[in-house]
Amino acid sequence: MNKPRKPSDIAESSACLCHIESGELSPLPPPYEDFNQVTIPPLSPGKVKGIETSLDDTVAIGIPKPASKEEEEALIRQFLSGLKKLFDKENNWTFLQPLLLSMEHCAKCQTCSNACPVYEMSGRKEIYRPTFRAEVLRRIYRKYFKPGGKIVAKLTGDIDLNWTTIARLAELSYRCTLCRRCAAVCPIGVDNALITHEIRKLFSQEMGIAPKELHEKGSVQQLQVGSSTGMNPFAVKDSIDFIQEEMEEVTGYKVNIPWDVEGADILLIHNAGEILSWPENVGAFAIIFQAAGISWTLSSEVVGYDAVNYGLWYDDVQLARVAVKHADIARNLKVKKILIGECGHSHKALTVTADRLFTGDLNIQRESAIVTLEDIVMKGKLHFDPQRNNFPVTLHDPCNMVRSMGIVEPQRRILRKIAPRFREMTPHGVDNYCCGGGSGFAIMSGYNFAEWRNLVSSRKKFLQILNAFEGEPQETPKYVCAPCSNCKGAIRDIINYYHAEERSRLYYGGLVELIVNAMADMKKPIIRFGEEPSWES
Amino acid sequence: MGFYVLSYLCVAVFILATGYRVYRQMTLPVHVRWEIYPVQHETGAKVAYGGSYLEELNWWENKYESSLFNELKYMAPEILFIRGLWKGNRSLWRVSFPFHLGLYLMIATFGFLLLHACFILWRFPAFAAGSTIRSLVDGLIVFAGWTGLIIGNIGALGVLYKRLTDPELRDYSTFSDYFNILFVFLFFLSALIACLLGDPFLEGAKAYTFGLLTGGHFLNPYVPGQSVPGKVAIISASLLTAYIPLTHMSHMYMKYFLYHHVKWDDAPNRRGGSLEAAIQKNLDLKPTWKAKHVEADGRKSWRDIASSERKETK
Repeated sequence: MNKPRKPSDIAESSACLCHIESGELSPLPPPYEDFNQVTIPPLSPGKVKGIETSLDDTVAIGIPKPASKEEEEALIRQFLSGLKKLFDKENNWTFLQPLLLSMEHCAKCQTCSNACPVYEMSGRKEIYRPTFRAEVLRRIYRKYFKPGGKIVAKLTGDIDLNWTTIARLAELSYRCTLCRRCAAVCPIGVDNALITHEIRKLFSQEMGIAPKELHEKGSVQQLQVGSSTGMNPFAVKDSIDFIQEEMEEVTGYKVNIPWDVEGADILLIHNAGEILSWPENVGAFAIIFQAAGISWTLSSEVVGYDAVNYGLWYDDVQLARVAVKHADIARNLKVKKILIGECGHSHKALTVTADRLFTGDLNIQRESAIVTLEDIVMKGKLHFDPQRNNFPVTLHDPCNMVRSMGIVEPQRRILRKIAPRFREMTPHGVDNYCCGGGSGFAIMSGYNFAEWRNLVSSRKKFLQILNAFEGEPQETPKYVCAPCSNCKGAIRDIINYYHAEERSRLYYGGLVELIVNAMADMKKPIIRFGEEPSWES
Repeated sequence: MGFYVLSYLCVAVFILATGYRVYRQMTLPVHVRWEIYPVQHETGAKVAYGGSYLEELNWWENKYESSLFNELKYMAPEILFIRGLWKGNRSLWRVSFPFHLGLYLMIATFGFLLLHACFILWRFPAFAAGSTIRSLVDGLIVFAGWTGLIIGNIGALGVLYKRLTDPELRDYSTFSDYFNILFVFLFFLSALIACLLGDPFLEGAKAYTFGLLTGGHFLNPYVPGQSVPGKVAIISASLLTAYIPLTHMSHMYMKYFLYHHVKWDDAPNRRGGSLEAAIQKNLDLKPTWKAKHVEADGRKSWRDIASSERKETK
């Protein structure tokens, strides 16, 4: 058993601040009890040589240890310089007011802790408590930047600022999915997830420290090549050609996917991960739009075919660059609006967060595809046979789309119409739990981070899914509808990790697949449960 | 007179510190949106399930609407009964609610005391001795005062006990957290003892409040602060008034900004609108972030950087 931890312990010299022992994670029900004793596999010493690993059982960033005392001191100075910049308007006008308010008014009542799935599922490990990392930052900030801070620190909680503190804080900022359940329940309105977000920014924008999946292979690659998947415009066109052929083969419906149509009503931007991992999602959108007679287009411009905006999670500059590029492409194509496909974080990034980055004609109207789909489905533009979806369906609410945007009911109205055996998770809507892959976790798998995600941050979602289908026979195929690419990635991983397809016949997919699956015009089903078609043609 | 000088100074500190806090919030740059749903000023059915105007097709063609009534319907029980704590942290609510209620009742008592003093000062005819209104105000002072002091003492002790014994709270509590609670408790306790020791109708408080409006003159011979508890109550209440806006306890009123300027700030940026003008100003600011990929040199603005193509990879 670990010793109880306090925020000041972050500076303590030890090999591991927090270790999850066998049996400490929240228990899973049958037939998954064999996972209750599983722990996170130890980091391979060869792989983490020279890397900071002293926080817990995993590594998200992989920060090299300083080679000398001078280097360590320089890093501490950089950290303090970045921390100062978080509190000036030139550098952080984007979040200055929310940050100041959350830094100054937390009463440390710990109401937020009960709302945090990572904290709860980890067996209530102290370092994962939402107030833990926020309190560390508050104490360092007060000590170094408030008048008389070093003296007052003795009364308000002192934290020794050394390399261990800094490196652990950086890693710790990647143990929170930024789902913001903590902020939603705070009686005062404090947002400790925002403080996590700001810590990430400090490290990225001042020190160039961020997980490579988000930065180098993420937003940097997207801006340079066109997509965080690495697909350039030629590759994406090839892939879409393949999807067109595939859709005809799968559903018997011939679809034409339009490119770069100037003056189209809609520019649809998918998370490019869909094109590679879930091509049926891209194809289903095309079928629906074509069948409904929508004027739409994709863009083959660099960045224009990938809606992701990882900057939302760690770097305002990258966020702004990608958002501006999206808007600029839409402006050049002279479309009426940008529609964001089934990707939660790009919904929030482009529609909500970047709303206050756009001016003049760059301020193109942006809309969730879910809203457009609701209009198509509910206004009778397509004909449905809901019995084709006669299998248990539950809905996962992507945090960025629901809690951060208030898009709650359109997807439900669609499901009530086309999925007769739809049932809610508990809780759902704005009270939902994160898939565990939020804030970049779904695409981060270096070292042993994927195991940590499957065992800890996605555990609550797995329990929710199992509960939603409680009472259904094991042999009945069950569909988890997750209208978000990253959420789908995380849910795919938990289904694989826990062998849930074999043990519970759990399957997952998006919303558009369910819509197409119920379309009366389709000759063959788009949804299959393994080798088994979801309905007989 | 020394008491009055102290009280005036403390009120001045309260006004200046609160004014500064509010001024600072009002003059901070417009930030990017970071709301959380449910946004309680949403209209119609949406507020019940946490929906937003973004659920509407072509939402920008509709007028942006917000409901003050819905906001008040949510905020009134939140402020008065601390509903968030009731829902999310019941064991803490059991001590925090009486603590806060005690403070609210003290504020209400002070309001009634001021009313009492003003009526006397203005020689309000209907407020003559023995009149119904005077009896009512006297009754309210006694009721709010006694209830607040009893509940406040229980709450302060409860909050202190909880913070000392619950490891979740204790491990995050610092000297200043305990000091704050003890400070409030000192006021509650001294005021309660002063009342118990011969001032059941809060005559001392009435006289002192009247004196606050008149620079220390009294209409009756009662001179407050004769007893030690009375002196401590006046001193601690005055110092507390000055102290609260200097600490996180200012959440009592800064909560307005946390909710209205962040959590519920869903105002869309429309072309040619006031928000757009504020954003234009923000985009002209010049960051100095040092990471290479930012490419900030102190001369380039956010606008330049956001529209630039990246060269460096790290």
